[in-house]
Amino acid sequence: MPHIEIDGRTIEVAPGTTIMEAAGALGIYIPFFCYHPKLSVAANCRMCLVDVEKAPKPLPACATPVADGMKIATSSRKAKTAQQGVLEFLLINHPLDCPICDQGGECPLQDITMGFANPHSHYTEEKRVVEDKDIGPLITTEMTRCIQCTRCVRFGQEIGGIMELGATGRGEHMSIGTYVAKAVRSELSGNMIDLCPVGALTSKPFRYKARSWELKHTPGLCPHCSTGCNTDVHSLGREVLRVLPRANQAVNEDWICDKGRYAYTGLQAEDRVTQPLLRVDGVWREVSWVEALDAALSGLEQVVTRHGAERLAGFISAQSSNEELFLFQALLRGLGSPHVDHRLRQRDFRADVAMPIYPALNMALEELEREPVVLLCHAFPRHQQPLTNHRLRKSVLQGGKVIAVDSLRQDFNYPVTQLVADVGTDATLYAALCDQLSGASEKRTAAADLADVASILLAADNPLILIGSALLHHPQAAVMIAQIETLAELAGGRVGWLADEANSAGAWLSGCVPHRLPGGHAAHTAGLPADALWDADLRGFVLLGIEPSVDAMRGAAALTALQQAQFVLSIAQFAGEARQYADVILPMAAFAEGAGSFINNEGRLQSFRAAIRTPGEVRPAWKILRVLGDGLKLPGFHFNALSEVTAAWQRDIGEYAQDVPPFHAFPALEPVPAPKLADALYRLGDWPIYRGDPLVRRAVPLAQPAMARMHPDQFKALDLRGDVVEISSHSGEVTLPLILDARIPMGAIWVPLGYSETAALGAAYAACSVRTATRPVAAARA
Amino acid sequence: MLSEKSLAEIARERTKYPSDQARSALLAALRIAQEEHGYLSEALMDYVADLLGLPAIQVYEVATFYTMYDLKPVGRHKLCVCGSVSCFLNGSDAVLAHLSDRLGVGLGETTADGVFTLQEVECLGACKDAPMMQVDDRYYENLTPESLDALLAQLRGGSDDVR
Repeated sequence: MPHIEIDGRTIEVAPGTTIMEAAGALGIYIPFFCYHPKLSVAANCRMCLVDVEKAPKPLPACATPVADGMKIATSSRKAKTAQQGVLEFLLINHPLDCPICDQGGECPLQDITMGFANPHSHYTEEKRVVEDKDIGPLITTEMTRCIQCTRCVRFGQEIGGIMELGATGRGEHMSIGTYVAKAVRSELSGNMIDLCPVGALTSKPFRYKARSWELKHTPGLCPHCSTGCNTDVHSLGREVLRVLPRANQAVNEDWICDKGRYAYTGLQAEDRVTQPLLRVDGVWREVSWVEALDAALSGLEQVVTRHGAERLAGFISAQSSNEELFLFQALLRGLGSPHVDHRLRQRDFRADVAMPIYPALNMALEELEREPVVLLCHAFPRHQQPLTNHRLRKSVLQGGKVIAVDSLRQDFNYPVTQLVADVGTDATLYAALCDQLSGASEKRTAAADLADVASILLAADNPLILIGSALLHHPQAAVMIAQIETLAELAGGRVGWLADEANSAGAWLSGCVPHRLPGGHAAHTAGLPADALWDADLRGFVLLGIEPSVDAMRGAAALTALQQAQFVLSIAQFAGEARQYADVILPMAAFAEGAGSFINNEGRLQSFRAAIRTPGEVRPAWKILRVLGDGLKLPGFHFNALSEVTAAWQRDIGEYAQDVPPFHAFPALEPVPAPKLADALYRLGDWPIYRGDPLVRRAVPLAQPAMARMHPDQFKALDLRGDVVEISSHSGEVTLPLILDARIPMGAIWVPLGYSETAALGAAYAACSVRTATRPVAAARA
Repeated sequence: MLSEKSLAEIARERTKYPSDQARSALLAALRIAQEEHGYLSEALMDYVADLLGLPAIQVYEVATFYTMYDLKPVGRHKLCVCGSVSCFLNGSDAVLAHLSDRLGVGLGETTADGVFTLQEVECLGACKDAPMMQVDDRYYENLTPESLDALLAQLRGGSDDVR
């Protein structure tokens, strides 16, 4: 182990340690721009030059490994002169426009210049100007400010997994960009803003909104997927102005995805409700809380007394906090209704009794990056859990293997062996894989890639099998889950769940499923799941934080059921579609406005507090539920503070394990016959990355239009024309622009869910027919 | 986009490097592509990127770094005037000014008749006879206004091989 001396202090470090790391361990600061502990070493900014004894020239600390007996001075005359020289060169072409630069106040170039530069520059000539690039709606470029540290380039290549930015040109003409103007497509692209040590890449939605020192920082939690990324919410007054990652190496490392970073822009949506709304004779009126609560209470009571509590159901978003979920089910069950659910996207509930107490990854996220063999079952974590995906990517880069079984070829950002089911045969594919693993494959003509996958799984020691949300959305989900249990036994592997939403785990544990109470205890009277209730002629609904027409798998059916109900109470951040069917809309706190706790995919309990005050008459959902429960004279609603709700929740769910058995005993399952396609197409579809919840759907910078996708050969085979198609299913018809995409299997068309434009089409995995649109493009898009 | 011959040549270059080091064959592949098409269009660079399995931006990086790659159509003869230290001290500016004046084009531009493109390049390693320039694949040294005029006349006359 080399002994070295930095600024007169000695330290013993592991061989191969760089001077930068050794200085870091001693708490000695060396200035730098291009160095980043999570990126490869480029050593191109030269800011970290230090004076090494016996070395003829100063050496870059970030790229120089220590040697035994090395004596380093970070602030000798030689080191200081070198640092001053580097800064003078870096500033030659830098515009020094700090007063109008968004980076001002949080800019390493500004800070290091103040701390290390010689205030006098020799340079009197003209500065170069670099043309700005339009790289999409998320990142503003001001490339004249760029100092070519290439952090963004290395991030794209090494972390994002898609190399989009690069350094073109040479010498003084070198510039960072995409060469041909292209939007950066990585779902992690916003991190380049944080990495940029100058104001070359800044946040477009945040541009000119505030100076960094005016902002209040509040630790927060991202509510957009089950990874549970830690965030830092920056606000000014009553407005959230940006969301940044808060480093937590166990969860999100130093990153967050663009969904978590930009979804806050949806808070400014026009349909935000800030005052209780009451429908009086078909007209919406802003009313006081007293009036709205009276109407809500009498509406609920009437449904229960006239039609019975079993004709009332409550659906809640799994983005709700544990406290809200807990009170929500207590309210519904207190009223006597067994129908409580959060799983609006699921179709097949036959495996409900076999489901784990909560969908748990059954391991730490950090362990995921060391898994040698991972089988993804209908999971596309790149869009569903981007930073969980990043762990898998790291495992692959270190030689791990990832295999994906799915209904279509997915666009992973690392090499993945993909096994794609022929249309409608997803369940058969898992069965074939089981047969292959058990050696009983004689009876089927096993495809070569199936045999390859089986041999990888058999050769692996305890492979990891992860079940994704698309599997639960499938109409044969129960059969496939049971097959995965068999598959895990045959392969000698473990099973984990990639939970769908930020607090899916909390929703299960808190009893927001029709067959289980808080803590996972079986309900005395099991209710029906959401999907079954749309056709059950219910009289009353309570909705919290959801928009069933786009959040439910059968959006059109949900909308009809809600419109036909006698009473609908919507507790929501946004009025939106609720104006079509609700009787009372109670305004609840949105992202960053409330406090509570989530349980992430690992089973990690994390809490968050409000960053800003709620606008207008908005109240946190837990307070609304508490007042409703109290008004209905239900027992157990006497809470005065959130901490009391948390305590009651904890008491009811008890201790919960981080590792849970992935399945309980399965009931007998009959496969559902695949839809008869005849000459129809099979409609595939899922919620795209930025359509998963009411807030992100309203985030303008993230908006992407609804587009159908189809294999180019299928397009030819159907003799379609143009770029707009009419798609019809038994439930309705939609007109959408079409993109040709070779990843979609033959015989299928992919139509996204989560858009009001596609809601009429009903559920995915059903038959539909496609023809060339008769209307022109403009009319169809309008 | 490329002929069988060019593709075979690129494939041969590719085998010179380990199978996971496609990037190493990029310089040669771009040279071969440029020889066939005269210059590297975006479509051609994207094609080469696909051919070698590289991100397109890596191809753009290399193509924009070296002055020998042309990203726009060029004339029949490329006049590459060295502007590095030795040539600069021996009057490369005057050479450039003279050529620019005679041809009526600026740096990086092509004459209207499509015969000449004027470029300034970095050191070509012929400092002892500075100032110098490279025309196509031949060096011309100790340039004077007279020798430049004679050369231009000969090249215009259609001779591709001027002594």
